Amino acid sequence: MEVLYLLIPLSVVIVLAIIVIFWWALESGQLDNIDREGDRILNVN
Amino acid sequence: MDSYSNERPKGPLKVVDDFLVLDDPVEQQAFTEMVDVDGQAYAHSVLMVQGMYCAACADTVEGALCDLPGVVKAEVHAGTRRLIVRWDPARVRMSHLARQVGATGYRLLPVKEALSISNRLAEGRKVLWRLFVAGICMMQVMMYAWPAYITEPGDIPPDIDHLLRWASWILSLPVLIFASGPFFSSAWRDLKHGRIGMDTPVSIGIIVTFVASSLATFDRSGAWGHEVWFDSLTMFVFFLMGGRYLEYKSRARTAGALDDLINRLPEVCDRLKPDGTYEPVSVRRLVVGDTVRIHAGQAFPGDGVLLSKRVTVDEALLTGESHPITKHTGSALIAGSFNIASPVDMRIEKLGADTRFAQIVALMEKASTEKPRLAILADRVAAPFLALVLLAALGAFLYWWQIDHSRAFAVAVSVLIVTCPCALSLATPAAMLASAGALAKRGVLVRRLQAFESLAHVNTVVFDKTGTLTLDSVVVAGMQLRSGVQAETALSLAAALAQASLHPASKAIVKAAREGWSGQPVPLADWQARFDCSDVQEHAGQGMSARIAGHGQVKLGSAVFCGVAVAADEQGTSPRVYLADDAGWLATFELDEGLRPDAREAVEALKAMGIETWLLSGDRAGAAQRIAHQVGVDKLVAEAGPEQKLQEVAALQAAGRLVAMVGDGLNDGPVLARANTSFALGTAAPLAQAHADFVIQGGRVTDVVETLTQARKTLIIVKQNLIWAALYNFVSVPLALAGFMPPWLAGLGMAISSFWVIGNALRLNKMKKS
Repeated sequence: MEVLYLLIPLSVVIVLAIIVIFWWALESGQLDNIDREGDRILNVN
Repeated sequence: MDSYSNERPKGPLKVVDDFLVLDDPVEQQAFTEMVDVDGQAYAHSVLMVQGMYCAACADTVEGALCDLPGVVKAEVHAGTRRLIVRWDPARVRMSHLARQVGATGYRLLPVKEALSISNRLAEGRKVLWRLFVAGICMMQVMMYAWPAYITEPGDIPPDIDHLLRWASWILSLPVLIFASGPFFSSAWRDLKHGRIGMDTPVSIGIIVTFVASSLATFDRSGAWGHEVWFDSLTMFVFFLMGGRYLEYKSRARTAGALDDLINRLPEVCDRLKPDGTYEPVSVRRLVVGDTVRIHAGQAFPGDGVLLSKRVTVDEALLTGESHPITKHTGSALIAGSFNIASPVDMRIEKLGADTRFAQIVALMEKASTEKPRLAILADRVAAPFLALVLLAALGAFLYWWQIDHSRAFAVAVSVLIVTCPCALSLATPAAMLASAGALAKRGVLVRRLQAFESLAHVNTVVFDKTGTLTLDSVVVAGMQLRSGVQAETALSLAAALAQASLHPASKAIVKAAREGWSGQPVPLADWQARFDCSDVQEHAGQGMSARIAGHGQVKLGSAVFCGVAVAADEQGTSPRVYLADDAGWLATFELDEGLRPDAREAVEALKAMGIETWLLSGDRAGAAQRIAHQVGVDKLVAEAGPEQKLQEVAALQAAGRLVAMVGDGLNDGPVLARANTSFALGTAAPLAQAHADFVIQGGRVTDVVETLTQARKTLIIVKQNLIWAALYNFVSVPLALAGFMPPWLAGLGMAISSFWVIGNALRLNKMKKS
C-alpha cells in the first residue's frame, strides 16, 4: 500500500488544480449565463 | 466624521467610491423623481443595494440613512434589494447618502439596466465560486474520511491515518477561506450590532470545529482530543452555500424581470423636423411638445395627444380594457399602450416619470416595499434560541473543563453541531423546494418559496378578467348569414380581406376560417385561389375593402362602413363585424372574448374548497358581468383602475381575509404585490410576473387550484418537519451536554435528522399528473 503515499498527496494537488481551472473558467465568463445555455438547446432557431 | 463612520458596523464590501456621479442631474433623472409633500419639493429615488444577503442587512442600510439630516424616509426592500429613499435636495446630496451607506459596507447603485446586469454577473460568479469550492472540497474530504468510518480503530496504519488528516486539513482551508466568507461577515456585522443572527452559531461552529480538528491533526496526543471533523465541516458549509445559491437565483430572476420592464418602452422613435421630414431619435432625447410618428405595432413613448385623424390602440395592459379602442384627433394617448393600425402622428405632453405608465410602476414599487417583512420577524424569534445554544455550549465547555480537559472540547463541539439549526432551517425550505419542483413540472413557477405559507391559508381568491379568466384575443362566437350563403364561403371571403390586417377582429376571423366553422379547416391557399383579391385597403378604425371577382366591392368592418342598417337591440352587446358585397349585407360575425376553457371548472373547484372568489376588472360593467356570470364567481367589482383595485384588496385584507390575486396585466402589478400571495398567468406582462409569487406558464386556470392544494400539503409536511427537528433537539441536546454523545455521533445525528427532513419533503415531489 506504499502507493498511497503518492496517491493521497496527488489527489490533493488534483483537487487544488481543479479549483484553479474552475476559477479561470468562471473569471473568463464561461458560467455567467448557464440557464440561458440550457435553454438554447431547446430553441429551434 | 471619520471616527463616526469607523464606529459603524462594516458590511461585506469595502466601499471607497466617492459616488459624485450620483449628483449629476442627468444621471439622477434615471432613478430619481421629484415629489411635492406639503408644498415642499423632495426627491424620491430608487437605488439598488449591493452586498445584501439577508433581511437583517436591510436594517443596517436603513439605519445608516434614517438619522441623516435631509432624509425624510428610507425603506429597503430585502427581496429585490431596492432602496427607496425620499430626501431633500436642498439639504443633502445623493453622493453623501451613498457614502454613508458605503461606510456600513453596502454600495448604492442607480437602478439602470447596463449597470445592474454587470453587477449581477459579478455577484453570480461569487456565489457560484463559493458553491463550487465547498462542493469539490467536500467530495474529496469525504473520500479521506470514508476509511475511518468503515474500519475498526487501529485497522488503518497510523502514518496513513495521519496523511489522510493532513490531506483533509489542506482541502478544508479553501472552504474556510473562499466559501465561508458570507457567514463570517454576517456574523461579524451582527456582533458589532450586539445581536445574534442565524449565522453566529454557524460561524462559531465552523471556527471551533476547524480549530479543534486542526489541533487534533497537528498534535495527536494533545489536550484537545484526537477527533477530526473536517468532513462534517465541509459538508455543512456546502449545504448552506447550496441554499444561498438557490436564493440568489430566485432573486436574480426578480431583478431581471424588473429590468425587462424598464426596457419595454421604445428606445428610438421618429421625430418630426421643422422641414416636415422625420428623423429617428433616442426616446431619452424627446422633449414635451415634440411631434413623433408611431408605426403599427409600436408602443407610444409618452402620454400625448393624437394629431392624425384616427388610431386604433391596444390599452389592455394598462387599463384592462379588453377591446382595441379607436381614438380620434385630439384624444389622449397613454405611454406603454400599442398602436395596432396604421402609422400616426402624436404630440408628446408627458414623458418618463410623469406618464401614467411610470405612475403605475411607482405604485407597484411602493406596494411591494410595504409588504410585511416576515423574514426579519423570524430572525428576531430565532435570536433567543440561538443565544441559548451558545450559552449551553459555553456552559458545557466550562463544566467539563474542570473535570477533563480533552473532553471539554468534544462536548462543546458536540453541542454546537447537534443543535446546529440545520434540520430546523432545512425543515421549511426543503419542503417548499420539493413542492416548487413538482409544480415546475406542471409549468407553474414558484418565485417566492415563503408564498406557500400564505397560500395555504388563503380564503379569498381575486381574479382579474382580461387575459386571466378570458383569453388575450377575441374569437368569433356567432354568425348570421344572408339566406343562400354558406358559412364556409362567408368566412373564407371575410378571411381573404382580414388576412391583410393586424386588427384583433381580423385575426379572430382568420383564425376562425383556418379552423373551419363546422370543423372543416380551409387551407390558406384555398382563399387566394377562390377569391381573386385586388385593391385591398385598410380604412383605419372602419374596416377593410377589396375588389373580388364575382362579388364586386367587398367590405368588412363596422355597420356604417358596410352600409348595413343595425337593429336597435343589436347595439351595446358584444362587438360585431359586418361583411357586405355589391348586393348588400352578406354576413355578421359576433365577436366575444374567449373564456378560458377551464375557468369555470377552476372557480367551482375553489368554491368546493370553501374559498370565496372575486372578479376585479378594469373593463366595462357589461363585459365584466357577462364573464362573472359565465364562470360563477361570488362577487364582482367592475370598472376598477389600478388604485381602486389596490383599495379593494386592502379592504378585503382589513376585513381579516387572506387574499390570493390572479392577474396578468400591467395594471394588476400593484395588486399582485399587495395581495397576500399572487399568481400571474403565463402570457402576462413581465411586470406582473416580476411581482407574482407564482407564474402559471401553461395558461390553465385550474393550475391555481392545484397550486393551492399543493401549498396546503406543503404546510402539513413543514409542520411534521418542524416537530421532528424540535424533538431531535429536545432529545439530543441533554445527551450532548451530559457528555454521552461524542462529536461523531452528534454529526451523524445531525446528518440523519437533515436527511429525514429532506426525505419527508421529497414526498411532495410525487404530485398527481394532470
